[in-house]
Amino acid sequence: MRNLPRNLRAFWVRLYGIFSPARADGDFAAELESHLAMHIEDGVRSGLSRDEARRQALIRLGGFEQARQAYRERATLPFLENLLHDVRYGLRMMGRNPGFTAVAILTLALGIGTTSTAFNWMDAVLLRPLGGVTSPEQLATLVSLTPNGEMVPNSFPDYKDFRDHLKLLEGFAMFRPAAFSVGLGDHAERVWGEFVSGDFFAVLGVKPEVGRIFAPEEYGDKPGAFPVVVVSDRYWRSHLGADPRIAGKTIRVNQHELTVVGVASPEFHGSIGAVAFDLWVPYMQRSVLSSVEPWMLHNRQDRALLGIARLKPGVTIDQARAELAALAQRMSVADADTNEGMSATLLPLSKSPYGPQGLLAGPLRILMGVCILLLAIVCVNVANLLLARATVREKEFSTRLALGAGRWRLARQVLTESLLLTATGATLGIVATPWMSRALQLLLPPGQLSLSLDTGLNLRVVAFTAGLCIVVTLAAGVVPALRSGRAELNSTLNEGGRSGAAGRGRHRLRSVLVASEVALALVALVCAGLFIRGFERTRRIDPGFDPNHVLLSQFYLATNGMNLEQRKEFCRRLRVKMESVPGTVDVAYSDGVPLGFEPSWWEDLRIEGYAPAPGENLKIFRNVVSPGYLGLMKIPFVEGRDFTEQDDEKSQPVMIVNQTFVRRFFAGRNPIGRRVHGWGEWFTVVGVASDSKYHYLGESPVPYFYVPFRQIYRADMDLAFYVRTRHDPMTVLPALRSRVREINPAVTVFDAVPLAEFIGASLYPQKVAASLLMVLGGLSMLLAACGLYSVMAYSVAQRTQEIGIRMALGARPADVLGMVVRQGMLLAGIGLAAGAVLAFGVARSIAAVSFTNSAMGGGAKLLSSTTDPLIYAGAAAFLCAVAALAAYLPARRAASIDPMQALRAE
Amino acid sequence: MGNKADVWQGTLALMVLKTLETLGPLHGYGIARRIEQTSGDLLSLNYGTLYPALLKLEQEGYITSTWGASENNRRAKYYELTSAGRRQVKKEAADWEQTTAILARFLAPAEEA
Repeated sequence: MRNLPRNLRAFWVRLYGIFSPARADGDFAAELESHLAMHIEDGVRSGLSRDEARRQALIRLGGFEQARQAYRERATLPFLENLLHDVRYGLRMMGRNPGFTAVAILTLALGIGTTSTAFNWMDAVLLRPLGGVTSPEQLATLVSLTPNGEMVPNSFPDYKDFRDHLKLLEGFAMFRPAAFSVGLGDHAERVWGEFVSGDFFAVLGVKPEVGRIFAPEEYGDKPGAFPVVVVSDRYWRSHLGADPRIAGKTIRVNQHELTVVGVASPEFHGSIGAVAFDLWVPYMQRSVLSSVEPWMLHNRQDRALLGIARLKPGVTIDQARAELAALAQRMSVADADTNEGMSATLLPLSKSPYGPQGLLAGPLRILMGVCILLLAIVCVNVANLLLARATVREKEFSTRLALGAGRWRLARQVLTESLLLTATGATLGIVATPWMSRALQLLLPPGQLSLSLDTGLNLRVVAFTAGLCIVVTLAAGVVPALRSGRAELNSTLNEGGRSGAAGRGRHRLRSVLVASEVALALVALVCAGLFIRGFERTRRIDPGFDPNHVLLSQFYLATNGMNLEQRKEFCRRLRVKMESVPGTVDVAYSDGVPLGFEPSWWEDLRIEGYAPAPGENLKIFRNVVSPGYLGLMKIPFVEGRDFTEQDDEKSQPVMIVNQTFVRRFFAGRNPIGRRVHGWGEWFTVVGVASDSKYHYLGESPVPYFYVPFRQIYRADMDLAFYVRTRHDPMTVLPALRSRVREINPAVTVFDAVPLAEFIGASLYPQKVAASLLMVLGGLSMLLAACGLYSVMAYSVAQRTQEIGIRMALGARPADVLGMVVRQGMLLAGIGLAAGAVLAFGVARSIAAVSFTNSAMGGGAKLLSSTTDPLIYAGAAAFLCAVAALAAYLPARRAASIDPMQALRAE
Repeated sequence: MGNKADVWQGTLALMVLKTLETLGPLHGYGIARRIEQTSGDLLSLNYGTLYPALLKLEQEGYITSTWGASENNRRAKYYELTSAGRRQVKKEAADWEQTTAILARFLAPAEEA
């Protein structure tokens, strides 16, 4: 009779039966009645007396009640019915103890809410694939690898080789985020977009909402041949009036007309998770829009492109990676002048080192760990509360057992009650989640990119919370549930009405809980302490330059349609003008900003008189700076001279190197006058600057060099302008604005910030980790302290009678106090010992997490030291104090009670 | 087992369905009687066995029930086959015959082997 639809039908009927049990019952009673009556009538008819007929019928038919029970079980779903009953009962119990209920639910809501928030963040930043793309699971990030294994972007020729020769890829697109200025003259507005390969949308599988995406004839590689643009749905609505006939119209981008060919689908925000871009322009248009010389687009050294590949169906990332590595290996031989030692690899999108996810991956993973710790503390707390309640309810349970309830049935009752608590807590928690999730915005780097973080709830977060709910119910409820089923009938009922004189087993259990509570709190406290100290220590590292009293302004002159010469001229004139502004001490400009967010670039060098080891990495980081840059930064000269305006395009190329450079390549000997080859020319070293920090405060000394702005500045470089002031740097901002307008009214000063603030960005991942852990560590500690106190207080209160007897027998209050506190401290001590071991292990594993895997400052760690004895000792001392207080206060109250009263208490 | 065998669930369902097919609408007492008589009083049905089985068949949609009056004007609940029930009898009966036929071959005297 296995027949699914029939079984299902029966199931629904039975489910329905749960809600109308009385009617079915009455109906069945009447049916039985008539059955019996007919049976008796037959008996009478066959010649029996009425009583005899009735007797035989009853014997024949079996028990009335059993029949009813069997019928009832078939009429409804007994399991569900019991559950409903338990729930109803549980709700009543919760209502009867509002204090207990509130504490338990709030604790649970806190734990579950925090963990769900952390998960929501991870989901938004790391797990959620790009919006609006087709089959994101087939996409992978393609990065080049330096000989040291650091990840760097790709060049356009490399891109073409990869695209044309990789058989396991269905497609390979590339992109480069860029700032655009849209509109006319000084009405221009800055918009973030991406230069993309023509097949970008095709590879990602993005559908147009209006018009079309780039067509195959726009996939070409002729510089400047594709004046077209695709805009985002967001931009189309906010700036183009959601014009349905927008395709074919033009917008003015970087002072050039571009034809809008289409609008991307609303879910698509670009190719970097959590960042929203608004314009997509073919990469070849970069030569026009950014005045980058066409040959540079085809230069293998110009590694400016991030790659995204689509694997062929059925191809694993490992297979594709192997094919790519083999191709990169051939390229490193064929193009040895630029690619020697280089390789390339594929990463799942979620592991991409670019964008917010690259920065936040480490901190968020640690955050998740801390949340689980917090949740564990919450579980212990709730388990404690439930256990305490179970003690109070021992009599109730015993009575039910005595009346024939099954032990499993009782355990289920307790589990249902904890499930009710957890579910209520989880509901509260998930309601708070979207609200708490918004805090992520505050934690994101002070970048200029616009973020598209959808931190609302989604199914995955709800499912996660539901799963959490079950885990917590089990973790917190199983032990109390098992105990409730094991109540010793005789002993409890015979205890003469003394409620809950805690038995040995229960006492031991509570001791374990206290110890584990202490251990968990220690782990939380130690981790938070280590992070905060690590952060403080890093912050105190001397960057080797002085960022205070410096105003930093970044310009995107290319977006104003200036060519290279005009840009250099602009800088020189702005410098002269700014020098005469009162309050200004010094003015300089450069390509890269030290300790900034933007990637730093390197050059392949050859150094006269230095024989590199085979495969040695001679890609050395550099900055392109104006005369006076080092002086403005207060980076001291060790030897030689600074650049001057005479080091121009026509004169002999010159270079300033740092001390590490000298130590490594010139064996510490005087380098002045030595020659170094880069950018196809020979440079003469004219000066040596002190080492400073370039990418991360925590980085170890690296070789570094500076070249003159006039000689090396190229169209694809950035421009940062610095003004050192006597007082608050922001005071010169109005002057800067007006001077800029005097030179070129079309140029707008968008981002001007004090340099000291800007370089805070390099501390960003550590700052996030430290501040989150401080909050969560504090929270865990508070919870643990509360839990510790309540358990201690409760167990002392349970011993009131015992204490009364001791005192009646002559113990002094001080003896009682000493005893209770001693026992409490013993437990705390055990917990601390276990916690210290655990904390050390946890810290070790966190220390292995490096917060960046991009080429700059690789290996900079979130945690510098795992064995700071001060932190361990401080945390332990603090917890000891809490434990002592938690034992002392209730013990004092117990000891101050009149023994007679204590004995009469029940 | 006593001298009166208990009925097992699967076969009881078929007996009930077959009874209703043969006799038309019938109350629980009538069904029980009929099954006991047909078995030559080898089977004995008590309430706790019969009624849950009837309920199950009803939940599965093979039979329906209505309250009506019995031969001697007593209120009784009458069970009746539905069309699904009628199909089910045929199918079950065929299955059962096949099963017994197969088993019969196994239990047949060994000389055939």
